[in-house]
Amino acid sequence: MAGLELRRTSGLSADSLFRRITGTGLLVLFIVLIGLVVAFVGYSNPLWTIQSPIDFLTSSTWSAGTIDENGQVANALYGALGAIFGTVATSLIAVLFAAPIGIFAAIFLVEFAPPRLAAPLTFIVELIAAIPSVVFGLWAAGDLSNRLRDTIEWWIASSFGHFIPFLSEDPESPAADSVFRAGFLLAIMILPMVVAVSREFIRSVPISLREGYIGMGATKWEVIRDVILPTARIGLIGGILLALGRAIGETVAVTMVIGNAEGIPSSLFQPGQTVASKIASNIGEASGEIAIGAIAALGLSLFLLTTVISLVVRVLVRRFAVRGGRV
Amino acid sequence: MSISADSIAKVLTQPTSGEHARQRVNWTMRIIVGVAAILAILPLIALILFVVLKAAPYLVPSFFFNNPLDTEPGILNAIVGSLQLTGLTVLISGPIGIAGGVYLSEFASPRVVAVGETVIDVMLGVPSIVAGVFAYLILVPVLGFSGWAAVAALSILTVPIMMRSTQEVLRLVPQAIREASLALGVPVWKTALFVSVRTALPGILTGVILAFSRALGETAPLLMTARGTNAENWLDFSTTMNAMPIVIYQYAAAASDLLIGQAWATALILMVIALTINVLVRGRTVNSRTA
Repeated sequence: MAGLELRRTSGLSADSLFRRITGTGLLVLFIVLIGLVVAFVGYSNPLWTIQSPIDFLTSSTWSAGTIDENGQVANALYGALGAIFGTVATSLIAVLFAAPIGIFAAIFLVEFAPPRLAAPLTFIVELIAAIPSVVFGLWAAGDLSNRLRDTIEWWIASSFGHFIPFLSEDPESPAADSVFRAGFLLAIMILPMVVAVSREFIRSVPISLREGYIGMGATKWEVIRDVILPTARIGLIGGILLALGRAIGETVAVTMVIGNAEGIPSSLFQPGQTVASKIASNIGEASGEIAIGAIAALGLSLFLLTTVISLVVRVLVRRFAVRGGRV
Repeated sequence: MSISADSIAKVLTQPTSGEHARQRVNWTMRIIVGVAAILAILPLIALILFVVLKAAPYLVPSFFFNNPLDTEPGILNAIVGSLQLTGLTVLISGPIGIAGGVYLSEFASPRVVAVGETVIDVMLGVPSIVAGVFAYLILVPVLGFSGWAAVAALSILTVPIMMRSTQEVLRLVPQAIREASLALGVPVWKTALFVSVRTALPGILTGVILAFSRALGETAPLLMTARGTNAENWLDFSTTMNAMPIVIYQYAAAASDLLIGQAWATALILMVIALTINVLVRGRTVNSRTA
């Protein structure tokens, strides 16, 4: 960028040396990324000698099998469906709560809050992101989880539990841990991300668009509904996807409240597990290259999923930038 | 009947029933949006209050100076371990991240910038447990459960953070300053270092500090690498180390109230450090887009 084309000196000048040194930094990141892919593909490979990836994705049995007299593993089956169900359920619950509250909060911060209030409020929301996930986990395990069980969870179960599958719960003896509570905790943890990204995109809607609509007699809410939200739509979706990626990968906090039960739970108010929490709770016991392969396969699926999300967000945000430029 | 300007004005300004409905919706939405903002900050307040209340009885001075197996329990080894692990992580990953950011901003061709930014995006999205499993698969078999493996896992998470923030703040440095320096005959590398980086230094350091804060709270990668220990470990990265997040995670699952209490106390210490760093750093740059 900075006029480097001006110089084409031969040999290793101070400039090209500096260029190479800084370039090495970027190169290291490339190598780590390639290393991640190679390691996870390589280590998960032994698993595919005893079962197919289809079994991995469609079975909910996770069993190390037995070791026969020849020292060979027999009857092992590593099915991740239970964990995949938990990951999908918790992250969807998280987005279900965090997306509307986050976007509305961002609208308040940008459109309604007086500047004197907006700055500290934004600051406080951003501070939530600074709290370590293990502290969230401790708080949820020690307090929040029980409160959720006795309020929101009890209300949903008693209102909808008898006719919507996956929402039933025995009111007399609710489970000690549940998928729903893990999802709700994730909602709190991803909220600052939704607010921050939404705020950024709502702010970037050109003032002339708002003024045009206000000039036609629109109320403030109509401006938001008909101008700001449609214009910022792609960015808002990108923010939600980014938060979804965070929720999918969150490990420790989820492990502390979800109960780490095998298989697909009969209800969202029963204990379960996610792909990330399964890795955390199984990695210690995994020995032998097939068991390690199963853990690597879980890691690979998480990595692929978050990578796809990152790439989709990147494309979305680019499209928004291009469109925004034309508006 | 003639139409006067007055009568038109009267029709236009008189509220109709539709108008009332629109205003009602407007005010209802105002309230809903305000409630959402309150809901967004409620968890932080609840969490802080609860952690402080739970931790207070256990937070005695000796807690900072004893080790877990001493007669009066403490977490000195975890505090020491956390600072060593995150300190070394930043020392190793800082130069890599800053160098990459400088390269992307000052030297790279548009195509390399596009690829590099995509790689940073992907690496920023990598869950911490994936970095932990990576170190567990590749490094633990060679190095054993060790500080080195933990530092490697944490560095995977912090390098992209610092590379992104470095690139973003360097982008804010006006091109004219660089051109002025080059026009004076200053070599490109000196211009990059003593003009661009120098101008952006506060922003670059902000990124480094935020990366430090992020690494300090990471738990999952440490459980698979440094693993935790009851012993005090000064600077021996080749063996197990304790860290505050490990203590919180392990004690939280314990059966004894005393250990759970210590988990709360440790959580309070960790939270205070993380919040203090963020308040100090972000307080000056509330509108900063980095990190």
